[in-house]
Amino acid sequence: MKAAMKIENREYKLRDFLIIPFSVSPYLTLLRAADKVVYALIPSLQILATAKFIDTAINILNSRAQKNQIIFPLVCILLIIAHQYITFALMGLVRDKMSMTLTEAFRTAVTEKRARLEYRHIENNETWDLIDRVGKDPAGRLDGGFNIMLRMADMFFRVGSVMLVLAMRVWWAALVIAIFSIPLFYLAVKSGKTNYEASKEAAKHTRRAQYLQSVLTGRGSAEERSLFGYSHEVNKRYYEKYETAYKINMKSQRSRFIKMKSASLITVLISVLIAGVLIAPLGTGDITAGMFMGFVTSSFSLAQMMSWELTEITGNLANNREYLRDLTAFAKLSETPGASDLPVSFIKEPEIIEFRSVNFAYPGTEKLILKNFNLKLKAAKHYAFVGENGAGKTTITKLLTGLYDNYTGDILIDGRNLRDFTQAELKALFSVVYQDFSKYQIPIADSIGMGNVRSFSRQAVSEAAESVGLNEAVLKLPEGLDTPLGRIKENGVDISAGQWQRVAIARSLVSRAPVHILDEPTASLDPVAESEVYGMFGEISKGKSTVFITHRLGAARLADEILVIAGGCVAQQGSHAELIKMGGIYAEMFEAQRGWYAS
Amino acid sequence: MSKLTSKKINIWGAFFIMVPKIARVSPAVFSAWQIIAVAHAISYGVIAPVTQYFFDSASRFASGQAKWPDAALGLVFLAAAHAIKQALNGTANFMNLQYYRKVEGVLATELHEKISGLSPVSFEDTQVLDEMNKAVQGKDEAVWYAGTILLMLTFYIPYFVCMAFYLFGIKPLLVVSLALVFSPTLITQVLRAKVFSKAEDKSAPVRREFDYYECCITAREYFRETRILGAFAYFRKLYGDSLVLLNKIRFRASAKSDMAELGMQILSLGGYVGILLLLVDSLLNGEISVGAFAAVFGSVDQMFSLMKELIVKNFGAVAGNFGRVRNYLKFMQMPVRSGCDVEIDKNADITLSGVSFTYPAARESAVTSVSLSIKKGETIAVVGENGSGKTTLVRLITGLYLPDEGLISYGGVSTEAASMSSIFKNISAVFQNFQRYQMSLRVNIGISDVNTAADDLTLGDVCAQAGFDKNDTGFANGYDTMLSREFNGVDLSGGEWQRVAIARGLFRSRRGRQVIVLDEPTAAIDPIEETKIYNRFAEIAKDKTAIYVTHRLGSVKLADRIIVMKDGRLAEQGTHSELMGFGGEYARLYKAQEQWYV
Repeated sequence: MKAAMKIENREYKLRDFLIIPFSVSPYLTLLRAADKVVYALIPSLQILATAKFIDTAINILNSRAQKNQIIFPLVCILLIIAHQYITFALMGLVRDKMSMTLTEAFRTAVTEKRARLEYRHIENNETWDLIDRVGKDPAGRLDGGFNIMLRMADMFFRVGSVMLVLAMRVWWAALVIAIFSIPLFYLAVKSGKTNYEASKEAAKHTRRAQYLQSVLTGRGSAEERSLFGYSHEVNKRYYEKYETAYKINMKSQRSRFIKMKSASLITVLISVLIAGVLIAPLGTGDITAGMFMGFVTSSFSLAQMMSWELTEITGNLANNREYLRDLTAFAKLSETPGASDLPVSFIKEPEIIEFRSVNFAYPGTEKLILKNFNLKLKAAKHYAFVGENGAGKTTITKLLTGLYDNYTGDILIDGRNLRDFTQAELKALFSVVYQDFSKYQIPIADSIGMGNVRSFSRQAVSEAAESVGLNEAVLKLPEGLDTPLGRIKENGVDISAGQWQRVAIARSLVSRAPVHILDEPTASLDPVAESEVYGMFGEISKGKSTVFITHRLGAARLADEILVIAGGCVAQQGSHAELIKMGGIYAEMFEAQRGWYAS
Repeated sequence: MSKLTSKKINIWGAFFIMVPKIARVSPAVFSAWQIIAVAHAISYGVIAPVTQYFFDSASRFASGQAKWPDAALGLVFLAAAHAIKQALNGTANFMNLQYYRKVEGVLATELHEKISGLSPVSFEDTQVLDEMNKAVQGKDEAVWYAGTILLMLTFYIPYFVCMAFYLFGIKPLLVVSLALVFSPTLITQVLRAKVFSKAEDKSAPVRREFDYYECCITAREYFRETRILGAFAYFRKLYGDSLVLLNKIRFRASAKSDMAELGMQILSLGGYVGILLLLVDSLLNGEISVGAFAAVFGSVDQMFSLMKELIVKNFGAVAGNFGRVRNYLKFMQMPVRSGCDVEIDKNADITLSGVSFTYPAARESAVTSVSLSIKKGETIAVVGENGSGKTTLVRLITGLYLPDEGLISYGGVSTEAASMSSIFKNISAVFQNFQRYQMSLRVNIGISDVNTAADDLTLGDVCAQAGFDKNDTGFANGYDTMLSREFNGVDLSGGEWQRVAIARGLFRSRRGRQVIVLDEPTAAIDPIEETKIYNRFAEIAKDKTAIYVTHRLGSVKLADRIIVMKDGRLAEQGTHSELMGFGGEYARLYKAQEQWYV
């Protein structure tokens, strides 16, 4: 295999539609280009062959030539036709092969780049939209761009060669066409552009209409839609939006068609003028009847081509340029070095994790989530972070795990700056169970083993499955631990939400990371299931350092020390008993929840 | 109605259903559209004879058999024919586009109305959902489908008839041989479709895997965990392997179909060559003129390309899309929920007797033989584990779902007999999965009762009750602020959205609506906010018949009566102290939660 392709941090230009395919598969690219060139020359060759043929035929009819003289031009015509028929199917295969090669190289390169991106680009909606746009069938976009480049070259050669043939016979006719073509070309380019802009404007309204359509048809809104009975009203708004977009589109389409067809009419006019002027040389014999017919036929077919192809190509070109702009912006997005590395195989258990006057705001926002934040976590202790929504509990874990590093102040692990740790080290240091943990639809053994991706053993996995009470469920699965979860594989099996939760916890159990973080792992569970999960924490936290983020204050009592996060810093710290005695936020929150149960 | 649905829709049936639907949108434009299509076809058809005329006159002029005005006249005819063809070509194509889009919009609104009439339980039926998704897609294709068949009738067929007449006049054998030459194209098309649908069946699962592994590396919901676990290499390998496999399957299919295509092309080529030789022979024998030869030769390409367009693009697409078109038509024939408009007594009790309900395609019932009576003004709490049937019970009570067995009645009117609007008239709700409409704050609240004006005064009222202060969030446009970042507005926090949803429920319950349903959100909400929600619910429940569903048992004490659901059955009911006394399901649930707080 060749060296894998990479998305480079540079400006991508139109020529990249040729350069990238060429660098990925030079032979296929050249083959397609060569095919296009030959294809482009066919109309002019056809004029020549047909002219020769007709002239010979006329001569035969007038007994000025032998019948067998017709064979040469006839064979030429047949070859030209045969070429078209045969290459069409063969090139189909080349096209398909090329699109596959491009997928392997380019789409993979885009995917790999995405994997290396700094995490902030994923959370930021603007950059995420960009990433999403670039990532949607990138190979197809590249292939489309390549095609447009070929079509442009094709058109250039086709028109050029017909003109050349014409110029060789009647130079001034070629000149007239050339002069008239320039404004036509300009017109086409312009209408392609305005059409593209209008469709962008209309897209805004279309997006709104699509949103309203999702309200009218979506499953999530079914209850409110029925009970509140707003369909009719919303439907009216939908149609208004649809019609606005429709009118903008139609207006631009109408002007596009008018421009396009006036261009063809002008071309028809020019063709007629040329034909009219050529009648004189035809009478004097300066031009043969065959050549005359050839020109007339081809100049009328140019009229059709100039109108459709030209506007289509220019419209497409604008669209493809937009993709290149996106690609360039995507290529510029910063990466995290070592982002796609495996965790290191061994890391020393940290004694002390310390935050020193850390200030942090999410990139592009003003609001400080952590303000002069100080914190000290010690080895083998169990901590609980509590606080209101948006207080910054989860943010702390994002900083610890290296997802964000644009903070000021220092985070020290045994005195060593967190910024000096490699990604591989950080991955080995922490294991996190998220509230919205990933439901990897792979064999259950792998989905659990993923917690120790470098070297998980079958035994560790089945032990973890047992600890979280998945044994019985696993036994029922058709292929035991090898059963794929979810519906991706055909023999996959769906499991319940509670069982997924257990898989996520088992994943953390097989992890050898010294520090375990649990981020609201029970938020979507009912109280009984929630209680069961708390029971498993003992298992996870045995001999390890744990950080437990929760809203359920009852569960926070399991921790050695509770940290109340409020206003961007640690507002209170201590054991449950201490905090209750102390009074303040924690005591209030606990009372709020306990109050429901106090009889 | 049932007769209609049982009738099978075939290719022509679909066409005959669609054409009136399409024509109705704008009969005048529709007729013009069709007339122009025919004219367009004829303008294509006359090019060949006019070209022949011109070439003949030109060659006569070249050989001195005619004078120049003769040739010039031919040129004028040819120019006119081409000009008319171009103008009609533009008009016809523009009209196609315009009319399709117009009809698509109208059909979309019809589809939305249809969906609004469906029973809400349909949305729990994956099969119906699937059909609905296909219908939404199929709607545009249905327009296109019928339009394409129309185009065949009004454009392609007239064109080929014109050409057939012309060719027949020149040499009858030409018509027959051309028809023969076209058949390989048709066969290839059928073959190709077969090869591809087979390959598609084979590659679909691999493609799904490939897309999924890409998701595991790049999608938002996986990104963070995949990175921190260091799982990139694992998924990268699966990704690469599945892509190689996918390409292998794709390449085999392409190779097969391209080779079939090649074979057929060679056959067509043979035919083409035959026709050409036939023409050459006739030319050299003096049977046809040079002009006729050039005109026919010049139009063979056009005939081939139009025939290919007809077969490949149109026949192929019609056959390929038919499935989705049928989905759409079948969906439009699906029965909507019926029922009479009746006046329901606002002061009536709600009674459930022996109510059972099973979700579509589920094996076990979600609610089994529940009998219950709710008095006007009562506050009822419904509790139970996840999956015990709480939410389903509430959906049955509101009439959103109809029971499979048993009866639910509002003062003697059963929810089955009454129309949706007449049952819902008296009910408001705050749902568990309340919607975050990407619309203005005013619409977000007023949407619960579109027949009442959402003026600032009323909104101020309900917002105050819901504990939502628009000034807190600093809205630039007051109630008209758009609540969506995507549509250039602002986004709210989870707690704020919850309050908007409560305001929405309140807005609807203002005009004397007696019943209100409150289903507790499950998403993570901090304890202070959670307590506030409970208190607000209690406030709202005061002077209404209120039914609320909750997980947090600590909050149910304010209810007049607690209904405990277990495995779809009504396990227990009573007040808190009564239920604690029973020592059953309720006591078990309560203790599981309470232990963390005592």
